[in-house]
Amino acid sequence: MPTIFLTLYLLVWPVIVFAVLAVISRAFLGEMLEARKEGRTMI
Amino acid sequence: MQIQQLGTPLTLLLLTLFFGVTFLITLSIGRKQENADHYMTAGNRVAFGISAASMTATWIWASSLYASATAGYTYGISGPIHYGLWGALMILFIYPFGRRIRSLAPRAHTLAEILHVRHGRSSQLILAGSNILGSLLSLTSNFIAGGALIAMLSPLSFSTGLLLIAMGVLLYTLWSGIRASILTDFVQVCAMLGAVVIIVPAVFFAAGGPAIFETGAVNLTPQQQSFFSSDAFLNQGAPYIAAVLAYAIGNQTIAQRLFAVREDKIKQTFVTATIGYGATVIGVGMLGVLALYLGLEPMGGDVNNLIPQLAASYLGVGFLCLFFIMVVGSMASTADSDLSALSSIVMTDIYGRNIAQPGSANPKLMLLIGRITMIVATGAATYIASNRLNILELLVLVGAIWGALVFPVIASFYWGRVTNKAFTIAVLAALAVFFPVRFGWVTLSGPVATVSDFFAVIGVGVIAGLMSFGFFGLRAGIATAFVAALAVLPLGMGFLHQYPVLTASLLAYAVSTVLCVAISLAGRERFDFARIAAETGRFDESQAAT
Repeated sequence: MPTIFLTLYLLVWPVIVFAVLAVISRAFLGEMLEARKEGRTMI
Repeated sequence: MQIQQLGTPLTLLLLTLFFGVTFLITLSIGRKQENADHYMTAGNRVAFGISAASMTATWIWASSLYASATAGYTYGISGPIHYGLWGALMILFIYPFGRRIRSLAPRAHTLAEILHVRHGRSSQLILAGSNILGSLLSLTSNFIAGGALIAMLSPLSFSTGLLLIAMGVLLYTLWSGIRASILTDFVQVCAMLGAVVIIVPAVFFAAGGPAIFETGAVNLTPQQQSFFSSDAFLNQGAPYIAAVLAYAIGNQTIAQRLFAVREDKIKQTFVTATIGYGATVIGVGMLGVLALYLGLEPMGGDVNNLIPQLAASYLGVGFLCLFFIMVVGSMASTADSDLSALSSIVMTDIYGRNIAQPGSANPKLMLLIGRITMIVATGAATYIASNRLNILELLVLVGAIWGALVFPVIASFYWGRVTNKAFTIAVLAALAVFFPVRFGWVTLSGPVATVSDFFAVIGVGVIAGLMSFGFFGLRAGIATAFVAALAVLPLGMGFLHQYPVLTASLLAYAVSTVLCVAISLAGRERFDFARIAAETGRFDESQAAT
C-alpha cells in the first residue's frame, strides 16, 4: 500500500479530533457566556 | 530502548494539579439547596456544548484507548477501525431510542425506573442489576488502568497509583453527583482530545515518520496489511457489532446523560460524541499499528503496556506529561460517570421505587444513600482492582449478557403488548442459552451446530432490524431484519458456530426476541404509555440550587 496513503490514514484522525474539539469548545464558551449574562451557573 | 519515567514528585504534582483543578471546578456548583433529582439528572436541561463534551468523555475510557491499540497491534491497519467505529456507532444507534425514551419519560432518572412502571419489579431489577454489575466492572477497569499507568511511568507502585486515582475521583464526584461529573468532563475532554491531536503525530514522527511503513512492512502478515481483513472483522468487528446496541442499552452512564441533556439538543449531542469518540479511539489505535510496523514487543508480554511503552520510548518529558494527563483524564471521566450512574440506580431503583412508599421518598435520605453508594462502590472497585483480574474480559462478557436485554427493553418502549412475563422469561431464557455456548459447556457440532447457526442468523436479522427500526420505523426495521437474515443464511449455516463468542451473543438476541414476541402475542395486554410520564416524576420538589 502506498506510503503516502498510510501516512494520511494515520494522521487524519488527529485532524478530525481537532475539529470536534473546536466545535465542543466553541459551544461550551458560548453557553458559559450566556449563563454569566443571565446570572446563573451552567449546570 | 530507554524507557522514560516521570519521577515521583512530578507524578504527584500532575495528579494534584489534575484532581485539584477538577475539584475546584465542582465547587462552582451550588450546594446550599441540594436537590435529589438534580444530583441524578442535572435538571434535564444541560446545553449542547457541555453535554457533547460529557458524552464524549464518558464513552472514552482508558481501556478503550488500550484496547484500540491492541486491536491495531493484533489485526493491523484495519484493527482500530473494527474497534473504534463500532464503539462510536453504539452512541449513534442509541440516539433514536433515546428520543423516544425522553418523550415517554421526560423526568425519569434511569431506564430501569421506566421498566418499573412498564412491567413491574422483576423487569426493573433485572435491568438495574445488570447496570450495577456493568458500572462496577467499568469502574474497576478504570482504576486498574490508572494504577498500571502510574506504576509504569513513575517509581510509585500499582497499589499506590490505584489508591491515588480512586481517592481523586471520589473527592470531586461525591460533591454534586452527575452535575460534578458533567461539568468536569469538559476539562477532561479538552485534555484528552488535545493530547490525541498532539501525541499521535508526535510519536509517529519521533519513531521515523512515513519511512516506518516501508521498513516495517515485513513485520505484517497479508491479513494485517489489508483494509478488508476477515480476521479483524470476524474476531474483533463482528462481536462488537453484536454489542453495539447492548452497551448503549445496558450502560446507565449513557442513559443518565440522555436524561440530563436538553431534549432539543439530543441529536446534536449524540452525533458529535459519535464522531469525537470514533476519531479519538481510532487515532490512539494507530499507535498500536505503529508498534506493529516498528516490530515492538510489549513489555512483559502484556499488550496493555503498548501505548505507555510507545509514549515512554519516543516522547520527551513534556509530551509524556501530556500523555499521562490524557490517560488519567479518560480514566477519571468514565470513573466519575460510573459512580454517578451507580448512585442514581441505588437512589432510584433500590430506594426510591422499591424501599420507600410510593410518593414518600425522602430526598435528603436519597442524597445520603447516593453518597454512601459512591463510597462503597469506590471501596469495592479498589478491592477488586487490587487483585488485577482481567476486567476487560469480564466487561466484554457483561456486554454480551446485555444482548439478552436489548430487544425486550426496546420493545417495551414501543409495543404495548409486551408483558412482564414475556420480558422476564425472554431475558432469562436467552441467558440460559448464552452461558453454555459462551463458555463451551455445549459442543457446537452436528444438529446442535445447525440449530445454533439458524438461531444465530436470526440474531443477525434482529440486530440489523433494530438498528434500522430506530432510524426508519417499524416497516423498514422488519424488512431489514428479513433481508439481513436471508443474506447471511447461506454464509452463516455451517460457519457461525466456529466463532462461539459471536454465536453466543447472536443467540442471546435471537432467543430473547423470539420468546418476547411469541409470549406477548399470546397475551392480551395493551399498555397505556401515558402512564410512564405520570409515574416517573420528581422525588424532590424543593427549589434546586442554580
